[in-house]
Amino acid sequence: MPDCKKLDPLVTPYVDGELDAPSRAEVDAHAHVCPPCHSRIAAEQTVRELLVARRATLQKDCAPAALRARCGAAVEKGVVPLFPGSRVKKGYDPFSLRARLRPLALAAALVVVVGGAFLYQLTDRSARVMAAELVADHIKCFGVNRLLGTSQSAALVEGSMASSFGWRVQLPARPQQIGLELVGARPCLYGEGRIAHIMYRHNGRPVSVFMLPRTARPDEVVDVMGHEAAIWSAGNRTFVLVAREPREEIQRVASFVHAALH
Amino acid sequence: MSGFTSGGARPAVPELMKATTGAGSFETEALACIDSLYRTALRLTRDPADAEDLVQDTYLKAFRAVDRFEPGTNLRAWLFTILHNTARNRARDRARDTVTADSETVERAAETASGAGLDQPVTPESLLLRNTLDPDLQAAVDALPGVFREAVWLRDVEEFSYAEIAAMLAVPVGTVMSRISRGRRMLFDALSRAKTLKTIQSHARLQEA
Repeated sequence: MPDCKKLDPLVTPYVDGELDAPSRAEVDAHAHVCPPCHSRIAAEQTVRELLVARRATLQKDCAPAALRARCGAAVEKGVVPLFPGSRVKKGYDPFSLRARLRPLALAAALVVVVGGAFLYQLTDRSARVMAAELVADHIKCFGVNRLLGTSQSAALVEGSMASSFGWRVQLPARPQQIGLELVGARPCLYGEGRIAHIMYRHNGRPVSVFMLPRTARPDEVVDVMGHEAAIWSAGNRTFVLVAREPREEIQRVASFVHAALH
Repeated sequence: MSGFTSGGARPAVPELMKATTGAGSFETEALACIDSLYRTALRLTRDPADAEDLVQDTYLKAFRAVDRFEPGTNLRAWLFTILHNTARNRARDRARDTVTADSETVERAAETASGAGLDQPVTPESLLLRNTLDPDLQAAVDALPGVFREAVWLRDVEEFSYAEIAAMLAVPVGTVMSRISRGRRMLFDALSRAKTLKTIQSHARLQEA
């Protein structure tokens, strides 16, 4: 079979559908009269089809949340934050890394602190520390997950609040009154999953409303990391509204949500 | 809003938000590739911790090399190229300490070993393989020698073109095709063997019973 050697390099592009019509016809004609080449093509084709058909299951592994957060900081700031639980990298010079840390790096590190049960305890501490953690989560949720474009219905969010937190909430009926649009809710892995996170758009910019159960603290507005966090309590729950807007605007939106949330 | 009081001085951190606002930014699009980068790193290293290191390094390098990325070109392929370069450099570093077979040797050995594959007749194996269990398939992929595993993975699972894979692996397109080809045939043989073995075993059990 003199053609076998010549056709050999065509088999894989044939299976991948990368051949032009004449070459394709050439392979077809040869395979028709050459059982070894025919079986070789069949074998390659079988494996390719199997892999393509199982793509979804072969792609089931997802990057862990902590890695995602570290990579977010890496690609945005060029630093990998050193926070508890991060892996110490082999062959990595900590001094060269430290040399890269600019004054902003501390704030950057806050952005990517994820998971951890400590947040819930932090709620006993200062409003600033709590607000910083929530601002970090606000940035992470909107920035890393590209959620700003989505919009879930109020009923869906209310349902998930009831099932996840036993919180029978009625979201503001007409958020558009103050320029708010509902984005959705996420199961926040923060604070052992006990903090609810509802997201809005306000004139296209991200706004987060966090609900911390069984907590009460005085009302105040804290500014942290370029964001404003309005804190209030009602019915043994504490609410924190986070956005990057002028303080007057935040106060206006917060008092609207405060009044309209039942 | 009399209920709200001011809390402390305002820290000036304007840069902090630059990268996180504005969908479609370089950072956002780069991060959207993280799952497939991580999966590919897992196939390369077969170790979750090593895979995490590799992906993290990839993003750090992407940040440092961002000036060299041409907007409008394929960001995903660019990140995969960085991932593979990083993996190669690490393998090279490790090879200084330990003696490992270089990829050419592996390739030649595999060529000799699978040369007999051509005279296999067409069998119902092709049909049988469709019922391969997911864990068996994953295990067979992971058992392939590295150069074939990455070529088949990039083509059949991550759907890159020959040219993109050639750039990632820093080899000619012809080599990419022959690695894909041999990788698929090795996979076919391994899965067929496993199937045949299972069939024999279940026959044996039936006869015992």
